[in-house]
Amino acid sequence: MIDYTKLPIFSSYNLNANFYDEIFKDNNEVRKIYKSLFNMFNEYKVDDFELLNEKAKSSFLNQGITFQVYGEKDTKEKVFPFDLFPRIIAANEWKHIEQGALQRSKALNLFLEDLYHKQSIIKDGIVPMDLIASSKNFLQQMKGIVPPGKIYNHISGTDLIKHSDGKYYVLEDNIRCPSGVSYVISNRAALKRAIHGAFNDYPTYNVDNYAENLLMIMESVKPAGVDNPTCVVITPGVYNSAYYEHSYLAKAMGIELVEGRDLFVENDFVYMKTIYGPKKVDVIYRRIDDEFIDPLAFNPKSVLGVPGLFESYKKGNVCLVNAPGTGVADDKAIYTYMPQIIKYYLGEDAILNNVHTYHCSKPKDMDYILNNIAKLVIKPVDESGGYGISIGNKLTKAEIEEVKRVIKSDPRKYIAQPIMSLSTHATYIDDEEKFEPRHVDLRTFTLLGKDKEFVLKGGLTRVALKRGNLVVNSSQGGGSKDTWVLKK
Amino acid sequence: MLARVANNLFWMGRYLERTEHIARYVNVNYFSSLDASNDVSQSRQFVLKSILFMADDIVCDDEKVLNENDVIYDIGLNPKKTYSIFSCFKSARDNASGSRDLLSTEVFESINSLHHYILNYSVEHFTNKGLDEFTTHITKEVAVLRGRIIDTLMHDEAYAFISLGMNLERASQIIRIINTKYIDAESSKSKLHEDFNTSPEWITLLKCTQSFDMMKRYYKKTPTSANTLEFLILNPLCTKSVLSSLNSAASNIKILTHKETLDSTSFLINKTRFEYKYTEVDEIEGRFAECIEEIIAKITDISTSIEEEFFSF
Repeated sequence: MIDYTKLPIFSSYNLNANFYDEIFKDNNEVRKIYKSLFNMFNEYKVDDFELLNEKAKSSFLNQGITFQVYGEKDTKEKVFPFDLFPRIIAANEWKHIEQGALQRSKALNLFLEDLYHKQSIIKDGIVPMDLIASSKNFLQQMKGIVPPGKIYNHISGTDLIKHSDGKYYVLEDNIRCPSGVSYVISNRAALKRAIHGAFNDYPTYNVDNYAENLLMIMESVKPAGVDNPTCVVITPGVYNSAYYEHSYLAKAMGIELVEGRDLFVENDFVYMKTIYGPKKVDVIYRRIDDEFIDPLAFNPKSVLGVPGLFESYKKGNVCLVNAPGTGVADDKAIYTYMPQIIKYYLGEDAILNNVHTYHCSKPKDMDYILNNIAKLVIKPVDESGGYGISIGNKLTKAEIEEVKRVIKSDPRKYIAQPIMSLSTHATYIDDEEKFEPRHVDLRTFTLLGKDKEFVLKGGLTRVALKRGNLVVNSSQGGGSKDTWVLKK
Repeated sequence: MLARVANNLFWMGRYLERTEHIARYVNVNYFSSLDASNDVSQSRQFVLKSILFMADDIVCDDEKVLNENDVIYDIGLNPKKTYSIFSCFKSARDNASGSRDLLSTEVFESINSLHHYILNYSVEHFTNKGLDEFTTHITKEVAVLRGRIIDTLMHDEAYAFISLGMNLERASQIIRIINTKYIDAESSKSKLHEDFNTSPEWITLLKCTQSFDMMKRYYKKTPTSANTLEFLILNPLCTKSVLSSLNSAASNIKILTHKETLDSTSFLINKTRFEYKYTEVDEIEGRFAECIEEIIAKITDISTSIEEEFFSF
């Protein structure tokens, strides 16, 4: 047995019994799946690691694999910090995750179709009407529209954590414009080069096939009467924080990356402005939020969208991926009902666990929340990127009072969950020149098309780089790790 | 291909070429002036004024005294000067970012790493000691970039627009450089009563355009005004010449369109290049200033025609 505490590079690795550590067991022994990799890492000196770390960083910077953090004026471009210690997911564990993620995506799709048509789930009393009626993401304009292939959430991102009991829990579903898949691919490319021989003992699934499958999914939902659909990706533009990802996906699929100004609508058909004149567009993977896709149908001030696009969509002349109005179903309040939603539409029990959620809109829950804020995480239901989250045990008295005031002023907007114990993983910390445990989560990517489905065998392991921090989002200073799904 | 993206690629090509020419011009002029054979060419003021004129048509009075560090900063790293290497390359990179999905990973990486090099280059080091290091690095990396454009992009529309931009910009920059050195040769002649035809400025001119070795091999004698102008404007074998650039532009336009009507870009490019193909140097030498104006006007017309035919959807 290796006593890792004697190794200089792991000498400040302090296990915390409250969290599940992915590398070490409670008795300090390295878990079986990591043994070979751990032994390999031991052969590196601190200096080697620093060098590898620097090399990986500059390779991301030179390749322009960067993002922008909102609110920072001076440095617009940042490298998404990349950690060299990969996360490994065993084959049987992955099977469970994959089936669970797919099950959720399918159930959410049926839920959306129902919400915008018969609303049986409401009539049957499973999901309360006021939860839907009060959601700003429920788009009245989508009522009665049948999207090509009857698919709403073509792309779903499921955020999972491993709790202290060693089980996976879903933290949230992302079915508007889930991002991060390009980092899964670039992390793999970087790791393969950085750590020589790392994959020798690990038969790992490749992650390069995402774009190919995404294009197949897009082509499967082509409008009626189109033989060879022209597919495009629409981006808000070069200043968007996820522009690298947009350009990567367009390039990897071999299709055009357009901005709103490159498209126009004529007689309810969508065209792009090419060097040879107009060319009809059939399927649009839109990385623009609902509100901005069409100033005529939604926010009239939007300059990012295309006037008339929604009318064309309504008439079935173009397919939007994901469909507008999916935000109503990845609302964190709806999340609580996922086990019932899955049961209702698929007749199955949910494969992946849900975290218990308290609704500020329910008086009984609200009472509990107000009395137990220190034990809870308070989240706005409709924000993404980790914005607006309050973690109870990190708040001062004054901050707790402020949170109480805020949630009382708009109970529908907030939910609360017990503070979940995100698992920890060995993460190289620049300042310490050592590995330390840091909290991680996992985002998986699921694709749904007409008679097609795909789950990327890999995912984005996001890591909170600050000691003790539980928020892993890149906009909150998080980094990421390559994630290996083993074949056997 | 999207009209906007084509426009981006075209201007990316133009700005890349412009960056390289400015870097090379500054480097060659500055360092060849240090031991120039006559006092005028060796004067710091003379070379600084020449650099500013080449980069941005800035005409300085003879009496005006320029600060060397200021001029070097302005031409190299001043983000507020549109003609600086910093600004030109930033424009190239902005245009590349807007068409990133069509560029190969290798091309974008080259552009991006050079962008970071320029962004992080110390101003103090540049103005005091780093002029050669910086400009040589830029020249070398743009050459690498050109190689990657040729090698890692499909020779389709995207490549055609980048190349068109580079070729037209090259023709335009060569003319600007010739014009500047022509004026330099004239002013040093008037002051020193040297023979205009054999002025050392012709050697500097050829070195500025990386054509000195080619020229020596072709003519096997010391450059004079006539053979230098002939080589840099009319010789189809000199890869930097105006005619060679127009010939390349004609191949580029063929990738984009087979339209050859009187109002097409293809017609205009071919008409212009054939005009120079059958021009003799005597026709230029006697009316040089006029000729320069004509060539610049023709290149501008071609550029405008490209914009109208392909970008202004």
